[in-house]
Amino acid sequence: MGQQIVNGLFLGSIYALFALGYTLVFGVLDILNLAHQAVFMLCAYVALALVLHLHLPMLLAFPVSVAAGGVLGVLVERVAFRPLRGRSDSNISGLISSIALATVLEALALQLFGPDVERFPFGVVPDRSLRLGDAVVSELQVVIIAIALAMLAALTYLLRRTVLGRRIRAVAESPAAARILGINVDRVIASSFFVSSALGGAAGILFGLAFNSVSPDMGRTVELKGLAVIILGGMGSMPGAAVAGFALGLLEVFTVAKIGSSYRDAIAFGVLFLVLVVRPRGLLGPAALREA
Amino acid sequence: MNAESLRDLWLTYQSTVAFIGLNGLLALSVYTTLSCGQLSLAQAGFMALGSYASAVLTLHTQAPFPAVLLAGTLVPALVAVPLGLPVLRLKGVFLAIATIGFGEVVRIFFVNLDFTNGALGLVAIPQRTHVLTIYGALAVALFVLWRIQGSRAGYALEAIREDEPAARTMGIHATAYKLSMLVLGAALAGLAGALDAHFNFMVEPSSYSFGRVVEMLVFAVVGGTTVFYGPVVGAAFLTLLPEVLREVGGRIGLQPGPLRLFVNGLVLLLVILFLPSGLVSLPRRIRRWLEARRAAAHAA
Amino acid sequence: MRLPLHSLAVAAIALLAARPAAATETIKIGAVFSLTGNAAAYGAQQRAGVQLAADEINKSGKLPGITLEVVLEDDGTSPQQGISVFDRLINMTKVSALIGPTLSTLAEAADPRAQAQRTPVVAVSNTKPNAITTIGDYIWRVSLTEAQVIPSAIEIARRKLGFKTAALLYGNDDAFTKAGFDVMKSSLEKSGVQILGIQTFATKDRDFNAQLTALKNLKPDVLLVSALVEQAGSIALQARQLGYTGPIMGGNGFNSTKFIQLAGPAAEGVLVGTAWNRASTDPVNVAFIAAMKARGTDPDQFAAQAYTGLLVVADAIQQAGMKGGRDDIKAGFAKVKDLPTPLGKFSFLPSRDGNHPAAVQIVKGGKFEILQ
Repeated sequence: MGQQIVNGLFLGSIYALFALGYTLVFGVLDILNLAHQAVFMLCAYVALALVLHLHLPMLLAFPVSVAAGGVLGVLVERVAFRPLRGRSDSNISGLISSIALATVLEALALQLFGPDVERFPFGVVPDRSLRLGDAVVSELQVVIIAIALAMLAALTYLLRRTVLGRRIRAVAESPAAARILGINVDRVIASSFFVSSALGGAAGILFGLAFNSVSPDMGRTVELKGLAVIILGGMGSMPGAAVAGFALGLLEVFTVAKIGSSYRDAIAFGVLFLVLVVRPRGLLGPAALREA
Repeated sequence: MNAESLRDLWLTYQSTVAFIGLNGLLALSVYTTLSCGQLSLAQAGFMALGSYASAVLTLHTQAPFPAVLLAGTLVPALVAVPLGLPVLRLKGVFLAIATIGFGEVVRIFFVNLDFTNGALGLVAIPQRTHVLTIYGALAVALFVLWRIQGSRAGYALEAIREDEPAARTMGIHATAYKLSMLVLGAALAGLAGALDAHFNFMVEPSSYSFGRVVEMLVFAVVGGTTVFYGPVVGAAFLTLLPEVLREVGGRIGLQPGPLRLFVNGLVLLLVILFLPSGLVSLPRRIRRWLEARRAAAHAA
Repeated sequence: MRLPLHSLAVAAIALLAARPAAATETIKIGAVFSLTGNAAAYGAQQRAGVQLAADEINKSGKLPGITLEVVLEDDGTSPQQGISVFDRLINMTKVSALIGPTLSTLAEAADPRAQAQRTPVVAVSNTKPNAITTIGDYIWRVSLTEAQVIPSAIEIARRKLGFKTAALLYGNDDAFTKAGFDVMKSSLEKSGVQILGIQTFATKDRDFNAQLTALKNLKPDVLLVSALVEQAGSIALQARQLGYTGPIMGGNGFNSTKFIQLAGPAAEGVLVGTAWNRASTDPVNVAFIAAMKARGTDPDQFAAQAYTGLLVVADAIQQAGMKGGRDDIKAGFAKVKDLPTPLGKFSFLPSRDGNHPAAVQIVKGGKFEILQ
């Protein structure tokens, strides 16, 4: 029982980290960035390349790759979203253009790295285990959960205590008003994408380490689960994404333990559905999301 | 070219021709909801329902083919109603997400359904679909959509697409229209699924994934969603392109799989950024550009 | 008439050199494998195996006057593409026979086309039981089905390890892994082993902790897993990490050096039933492995089966009297008997499925060894 709780928290921490980036962009720009999972995947590959070919220790490779993810995110914004900013249907067209960019990035990864699953070499992270009661927790798992929580804390600090954070919140409120106030909206948006993609990239690297696999299609399932998480948590709500991420992780694990593993994925989508139909704003999201 | 090599040419490419037709139907099924401004991504699920319903009938009963096709068309259409009612209230992105969820639930349902062999799917389905059947169905679909476009219903749909709240105040019953389009889209996807099942000898759940409906969306958007025939143009273009590319790509040493994915993504990106009304608007654009050049030449 | 001696010599040499080379007939054999897509790992091995076989057959003069030309195409692990490629090879390139495609799912879509066009197909990696060869009499199979390998593998392992209870984990959204599971379950039941629990996962899953924890808590004597190679590695790793110390046995998906590479230390002691006994000292097998390694590929079962597939085609041509037409090859298949191949002495069963002995492997020291 205890083991399953550990399993759930562990899975949930990765979901939460991924969803944080997702929901940040939605909160600021009102768009769903479906290229997020491509950045998730590419960062894992960057980290892998740094470790395998440049022999960097993970302690160094991790922040470098995360930063690379941020940069990639800024590129995504410039290519897929900025040109569409004036358009009336920018929500849907933005969605489509991010899908397009994600496809292009996945194709590049396939061409460069091949379709096979890769893994980080053994020993790049410590693999000792601890026993907590009847549960076995690996050092890696503890580190990952800790990093996820640390990033959540850092993000909250960023948004509440820094100038950039204030500006991001202003733009999220109303880009027009923010511009009048003298805020460089373009730069704020680029910064949001940087932060969001850095988080997504971090999630990717941790995922690759946690489950020992990096492949061009690793983002696909997480992307769909991520949707369930941000809907459950409430679109645009950071704490919502975190709580919902852990909740979904635990929910999935307990579905497997008590009901049967065939329904594991169905649970995520069932929850998604239920929330959208009954309470579209999710657990902690803002009100008024239906058609005006 | 003599008769025998024509026959060989046909046998080689008949499946491609068939797939163009099927993809055209699928693209139209996404278009129906786009035409009133809704992005529904449930069509892979509807297609699955149509494929399975028709395949089960063929394998377990002696039903004639037209009846089987009808079942494949009606089952998803009926399911679309209870799905649409709660879900069409949601705006833009939320509707898209809800329909993605529905599609996945349908796929997982079939993966777990023992009656249809779960992941193994149904095989040895007799091939009852001919290329002409597919194009006949496509022609009917295009006809229906053409009639809708020019009619009062068509204007109502466009009004909803432009500005739904305004349309409502004008007395247009937006929910009814949106639901009808969802049902129509479901029927088209189901029909395509039934035809596909009886052309490819098999149905299995992995063909009806999120990636599949994204593909349909790409066909529709690339072709153009402002006119009823746009999606079919997109489907034809993007079904033929990989065949052409395979020859070219092989020569420069690029893997065909990633190349096809890359081109699909790139074409979609370019269209969405620079040619938002799709390929069908290309002739108009070119004409306008030529006129502008002629005018500038005159003025000079 | 005085002919200068050296010009006579020159003329003689010219005449000898100008004698026309023996006319060679080219027989085209289509090879359709998943070179891209989900099954690409297997397809790469198959391509290497077939190319080696073609080169060796052409060089060896086993088919005098005939050159085998292998036309390689990618099915992209997509049924649509598989069908297109089959159509093209059959109707445009006019191959005499086809080898492949890689996955059973694609075979079920594309083979009926070949059957309709009376073109023989040799399945070299389709392992779905009660299928494939049932499509028609032009479809033949070299690869043993799961139903041929798994039962004997389980029996051998059971006798050696003496397990009485088992737990099963399988991918339920993939035709291959599900078919493997079905056979595992029925074999266990027939052997009188009690099944304590069954869990499933989806092919795209990477996290198996929940399922493995649930199964581990039941304390089975052995854990059987039906998965593709990518998940196989993660499953073994996570199982060991969670503290499961009992034996793990895998289906055909584990049958790849990639599994050992992915699972690392967790691969030690894992049992896998196999259609290819790589440790066999049969000279044909030893030569095959050496030749593959010389070309830079450490061969796995897929390479061995693809290689055998072309050997079988060549033998069929020989049996048909050096005739390479489609019906000649089909008739020739029926006459293939105890053909020496890396898989062992190969013959077809009346059902046109393959027949040769199977084995069980165990991973020792990072390598597959045969469980004696």
